[in-house]
Amino acid sequence: MSLEFALAFMLIGPAATALLVLALSRPPGLRDVVHIGGALAVAAAALFVASAAGQGETARIVLARPLPNVDLAFSIEPLGALMGALISVLGFAHAAHAAGIVRATQEKAPARLMAFLSLALAAAMAVAFSANLFSLFVSYQALILATFPLVAHRGDEDARRAARTYLATLLAGSIGLLLPALVWTYAIAGALDFQPGGMLAGRVDTFTANALLVLFVFGIGMAATPPLHRWLAASSNAPNPAVVSIHAVTVLPAGGIGLLKVFALVFGGALAEARIASFALLVLVGVGMCVAALIALSKQDLRERLSYSCMAQSLAVAMGGLLALPVGLFAAALQVVALSCAAATLTMAVGTVAAATGRTSVADYAGLGRVMPWTFAGFALASASMIGLPPFSGAWAKLWLITAASAAGLTWAAGLAALAAVLTFAHLGPLAAHALAGRAPTDAFKRPDGASILLAAPVIFSAAATLWLLLLADPLASFLAPIWTPAS
Amino acid sequence: MNASLLELARQHALLLAVIAPFIGAALAVVAGHARVSWAISVLAAICSAVLAIDAGQRALINGAPIADSVEGIALRADGVALFAAAWIAGALAVTTIAAGAFLRQLNPRVAPLGLALVLCAGGGWIGALYAQDWLGLIAAASTAWIASVALAAFGAERDRAALNGAMRMLGAGGVACALLFFGAGLIGRGAGSLEIAALESARIFAPGLTLTGVGLILAGLAIQAGIAPLHLWGGAAFGRGGAWMMLTAGVIGIAGALTVIVRVAAHAMAAPAIASGVAAGLVALGAISALIGSMQAIGARSLPRLAAYAFAAQAGCVLISAALGSQAGIAAALVQALAIISSAIALFVGSAVMGGAQSLHALDGVGRRAPLAGAAITAGALGLMGAPLTITFLGRWRMIEAAVGVGWWWAACIAIAALLAGVFYGGRLVERVYFRRSSAVADAQAGDWCAAPALIAAICITLLGVEPSLLLRAVGAAGAMIMGGAP
Repeated sequence: MSLEFALAFMLIGPAATALLVLALSRPPGLRDVVHIGGALAVAAAALFVASAAGQGETARIVLARPLPNVDLAFSIEPLGALMGALISVLGFAHAAHAAGIVRATQEKAPARLMAFLSLALAAAMAVAFSANLFSLFVSYQALILATFPLVAHRGDEDARRAARTYLATLLAGSIGLLLPALVWTYAIAGALDFQPGGMLAGRVDTFTANALLVLFVFGIGMAATPPLHRWLAASSNAPNPAVVSIHAVTVLPAGGIGLLKVFALVFGGALAEARIASFALLVLVGVGMCVAALIALSKQDLRERLSYSCMAQSLAVAMGGLLALPVGLFAAALQVVALSCAAATLTMAVGTVAAATGRTSVADYAGLGRVMPWTFAGFALASASMIGLPPFSGAWAKLWLITAASAAGLTWAAGLAALAAVLTFAHLGPLAAHALAGRAPTDAFKRPDGASILLAAPVIFSAAATLWLLLLADPLASFLAPIWTPAS
Repeated sequence: MNASLLELARQHALLLAVIAPFIGAALAVVAGHARVSWAISVLAAICSAVLAIDAGQRALINGAPIADSVEGIALRADGVALFAAAWIAGALAVTTIAAGAFLRQLNPRVAPLGLALVLCAGGGWIGALYAQDWLGLIAAASTAWIASVALAAFGAERDRAALNGAMRMLGAGGVACALLFFGAGLIGRGAGSLEIAALESARIFAPGLTLTGVGLILAGLAIQAGIAPLHLWGGAAFGRGGAWMMLTAGVIGIAGALTVIVRVAAHAMAAPAIASGVAAGLVALGAISALIGSMQAIGARSLPRLAAYAFAAQAGCVLISAALGSQAGIAAALVQALAIISSAIALFVGSAVMGGAQSLHALDGVGRRAPLAGAAITAGALGLMGAPLTITFLGRWRMIEAAVGVGWWWAACIAIAALLAGVFYGGRLVERVYFRRSSAVADAQAGDWCAAPALIAAICITLLGVEPSLLLRAVGAAGAMIMGGAP
């Protein structure tokens, strides 16, 4: 299989899966096989591409040239390959879980739901592999439009209101802020292709660098930087497969990837010119992390609590990138990986519990771990990773983040990151502990057979992924090194 | 024999492209039967389109010279005229074909007259684009306008309120006509010639007088193009005028008047004595239109009104692009005008297929009830929004690029603000088409084949947005041809 073919397959495969799911919506078994099989094939291709990228191979495909000197192009580079592998592997676990959820909850229009999950996956892969800012922008818009139906899936007035908030926040940010940043960058650089070391390095003055940084960071609203974070809470009442996709597999990770690409491949060395904006944004995201974790603590509905928890973790990505050091960028990349794995586990576990027991409130979780040991084992592992407890993946990301902040002389930023971790412990730690150690409820399950394997296995699978950075942190550092090393 | 006839037709392409719709109109009225009239009208519109497109292709893509026409009617082929007339004639053909979708909504006795009026409107605007002098432009534009007024009055058969719209159009047209004649007189006095192209080369004796004349001409055309705040007729005429009115005034009328404005502006901007004044006027009008149109479109509750206001907003960006006074600016204006034509066809034909949907509620669930019409309306809405990989996005990008190139950052901000507003009003349409349950009990739907013109426009919106090299070549040549040595 050539790399170009694998790259094209990763972009087209999920879209084709979406069409097939709609075409083969009955019988349900065939629909589920197509959905899971499609996700598996994409994951296999992504792992192949990541392996090739690790050996220094690269590929580029150009789909169109819609503007002079600007291609709609996708390429394989280490950051995209890592994120593509992450998204697609989690996408596979999520596809299996979604099949279990739609059966257990008898969700309406399941084929439509799965089709849009696949489309969202395609758009997220496109974000990961975008070769220039224009392709990133197009993929980003496509991801917004593909996930909007997921938020609106239930079709009632609440869902429509939430979907409107979701769409308005993300589209307004991307068109009102990201597009001007794009145009400005084009005016300065004369092109939009990503470059290791930064396409703006040596080309911008202080004012321009500061203004552009603000436009990019707020423009990529998927990273949930306040005040453009309302979409995250608005989407928390969508069907569980939609929530998993938005919070863990596609949208929030795409926000992180977008920021990373901008920090590493657009700004690079030019970040040093944007000290004022960097400092202001660091304060904003640092305080935002703590406030989001605090709000999460106040939420009794698990879905809302997790959405704010994910927001707090997502802001750590922005913090890492804004530190303007290679070690900060590495911490940010690790944080995207850790966040995705942990958030996928937690949101899927919450969906499993809701499907099997009908419980969604924090107060109702006590003792459930005794009747759903596998699911809550995963829940506990993911919670530990979110908090940053060693040896889970979140710990390495936070360690590098705090190291980077200290190396940049920003001890207060390291302190805010640590405080956010403590607050994350406060809203997730006792919850997991009560679920595992509390007295088992007598009539836990809505159905006598409890949670099916399709509901439990993906939780365990993604929870296991939170451990892999323990082994791979060092190889990942050398894998990603070309991203922040200027081309000679 | 056939080849020589074809060659003869090509030699007189400008003249034939203008008169073919009028001949078709006369024959349609004489034929009397609705279906026969429709077939004649389609044939005439296609003839006009083929000739105009062929002339445009020869001049703009192949670089071959096109002879001016002097047989009775003085016509001249400049870059903007060749490009815009080809698209207006194409749009006329598409809308005439689409008119077959709702022939049965009209009294069979008046349907031939309606078709004739559609052709007259199209022929009028093509004539205005090719006109060599100001008087020819005014005569042709006024002919097109009167035809549109008559079509607006047709809606009175179904809804008496349509007469209100027609009366407003008549009043606005009268004012516009007075402004045009007065402006032409002032230009004749100030520049010593009534030829449009002479403006750039003539020695202007009285720059103030000439500038006022050009300003009055542009104001008159702006009224006809529905540019805010001169669009007082738009809401009433579009809101109650019915499908015929929407198609003719919305697709042909607005786009025709707008491209004529671009043509006049391009000639005026090439005259150094008046260029800065014209640019200031265009910028002021464009900025106001973009802002007012966007706000009104966000608040609109019916599809025709929303479209009318949205097109006013888009037209504002076209004016700002034209005001740049460069080849790049004219090219950006032409791409955006084309985007307006395509979006209008997709939206209006799509809604006409749904029985001439007026209220936004009528669009609820169209995606399920009529997938083809839903797809066309969605493409039109995406065109209004300026979604990436659509022709509107391309036009806006070229505008921003050209504006930033001359340091007009504020113009880039207006373009982005208009895009942002487009997300809200265009997004509402998409949401209703696909994410609302149908509230309609029964629609007077036309056959699915009638959605074909709308789908052609939808394909145009996306295909030219994805692969625009030929389009960019054509508009680049059009800009170079009309602006001469301007950068």
